[in-house]
Amino acid sequence: MNRWTAIIIQELLCTARERLPQLLLAVFVGMIAASAFIGSSARASVAGVYREVVRQGLTTAPNPFDALSPLYYARNTVIYIVLIGALLAIVIGVRSTLRDRQARTADLILSRDVRPSHYLGAKLTGLALFILALLAVSAVINIGCISIVTGHAMSFDDGARIASLYAVAWLFMLPFVGLGMASGICSSSSTTALLVPIVIWSVMIFILPLLGTAAHPVSLLNPVAAPPAAQSGFFAVTSSLVAPLSLGEQFKHVSALILSDPQATGTMTSGLLIIAAFAAAGCAAATMTGRVRMRSELHD
Amino acid sequence: MTETLTLAHKELTDLRRNRFMVVLFAFLAVTVVLSVVVASADFRLKIADYHHYLDALAASGNAAAVPAPQLFPLQMLRGGIEYLEIIGSLFAVVLGYSMITKEKGRGTLQLIFSRPLGRYAFAGGKILALVLLWTATVTGLFIVITATLLLVGNAPLQGGDYLRLALAAAHTIAYLIIWSLLAMALASLTRRTGTGLILALVLWLIVVLIIPQIGDTMDPDNQIPGGLFASLQVDASHEQAVMAHFTGYETTRDLIEQSSVTKQYERATFAYLGIKTEYNQQPLGFIWAGTFNNTLWLLAGLALSVSAALLAATKKTILRKAP
Repeated sequence: MNRWTAIIIQELLCTARERLPQLLLAVFVGMIAASAFIGSSARASVAGVYREVVRQGLTTAPNPFDALSPLYYARNTVIYIVLIGALLAIVIGVRSTLRDRQARTADLILSRDVRPSHYLGAKLTGLALFILALLAVSAVINIGCISIVTGHAMSFDDGARIASLYAVAWLFMLPFVGLGMASGICSSSSTTALLVPIVIWSVMIFILPLLGTAAHPVSLLNPVAAPPAAQSGFFAVTSSLVAPLSLGEQFKHVSALILSDPQATGTMTSGLLIIAAFAAAGCAAATMTGRVRMRSELHD
Repeated sequence: MTETLTLAHKELTDLRRNRFMVVLFAFLAVTVVLSVVVASADFRLKIADYHHYLDALAASGNAAAVPAPQLFPLQMLRGGIEYLEIIGSLFAVVLGYSMITKEKGRGTLQLIFSRPLGRYAFAGGKILALVLLWTATVTGLFIVITATLLLVGNAPLQGGDYLRLALAAAHTIAYLIIWSLLAMALASLTRRTGTGLILALVLWLIVVLIIPQIGDTMDPDNQIPGGLFASLQVDASHEQAVMAHFTGYETTRDLIEQSSVTKQYERATFAYLGIKTEYNQQPLGFIWAGTFNNTLWLLAGLALSVSAALLAATKKTILRKAP
């Protein structure tokens, strides 16, 4: 076993043993499992409302949910990835580097012939693999729950789309792992280490979309996007500035296209490129930390 | 009583010197102000669109009267209130958590408890400091919000509007104190640094984001962009008649939402600020009659969090969990 593999295995073991991220993990997997049933309940109520509206002769419009794809039931999953998945990624990233600083193992490891970038790169790889495994399990649970709700096994094409969604989710969560790791190394206390990336996350998820589209923060929790403000004048300028930085909205847009949401328009190329750029930046931020910084003391 | 006041004074001095907390409060203020600026820009855009529409109608020889978009200044605070309920509560968690962990980290707990303090004096001092701090901070925030409404939003505020703002501020103070005290209680009950914070964050995630998200997603009208009833061309009066057939589902959805203190806070403040259309421009008595249960649940949450903080931050409990 070479050093790289040893660090990856150690990271996987330590992350799996951490109790608190496990709590978040349980919430995440639980909500992924519940999302299909929440979608099913919403769909049943819409169908009932439509039948009642038609019975009362109030509309001649077709049922908006006719010929609904089973992928509809995965729409809530996207929100849980943006909310819980990203926070989970931050927490495991922060805990990974804080653990070294608290136990002073960074001193010991860096006394050996190990470059900090290699060490941190291996740790990041371990965490990326952990998230990959977690998302793989979540995808299987999601497909299983949707199959239960629809009453038949999911088609290969739909299954492939769900798998693609989770692949993009992995890319989306990577920058938050990197950010968490970097914050765990650079912060002077464990509180700041956790808080700084969470504040950055809240800016990307809740504040930037408001600047570009006037979307209210709570409406961003709904998988159905609110109609955006007209893209002229003030919002034309702010939208062009903040849209590439609104990582959550980019992920939601790409996910909507993957899930064949009839309301989603455009292509996913730019969204994917932006998510990949954030992932690269997050990984670079985590792995480019210097030896001195890694060995700095915590002031809790 | 004197010892409680001394401890509260010490806490406030500590917080005033804590640059990190000052930065967080400034960030919160900037965020709320930005939301008002954006709401104001959005309204101006609607007015401009309205004038373009009128011009187009006139050019086509159509003289139909179209009502202009109406400005209700307090409705511009929707984004700001939502930021206070999401980001404000997050900062409240950090503040409450840091009240205990700083003592644990500095090793000052043993020193403080070597003095002849009353059983609840330590917790009482911290709670009093949090109450004073949030009262001052939220008052300051609402003064900034009002100034932004007047200057940037160019919104004419009436005497009653200031009272509504004060009521919204009072609800905000109670809401943020709840979160700080819950985090303080969790920090007192956990041994490891960070454990209390992560537990409080999980609680925050569930109560502030997940429960309201589930309730919101279950709303049939939220299933289609622009609203289900709008897409079916069903007006508000018929919408109520239709939804009367789904009381069981709506009650379940309402109960899910009501289990979150965040929704209780949101419903009450949205009503007083007229953000919820049915309460817009209504007298305060009418709003109170419709939302007193939300205010009472918020107060119940406050009482619960005060009790939790008082019981968790006693000498016996806190020293047992000290590192």
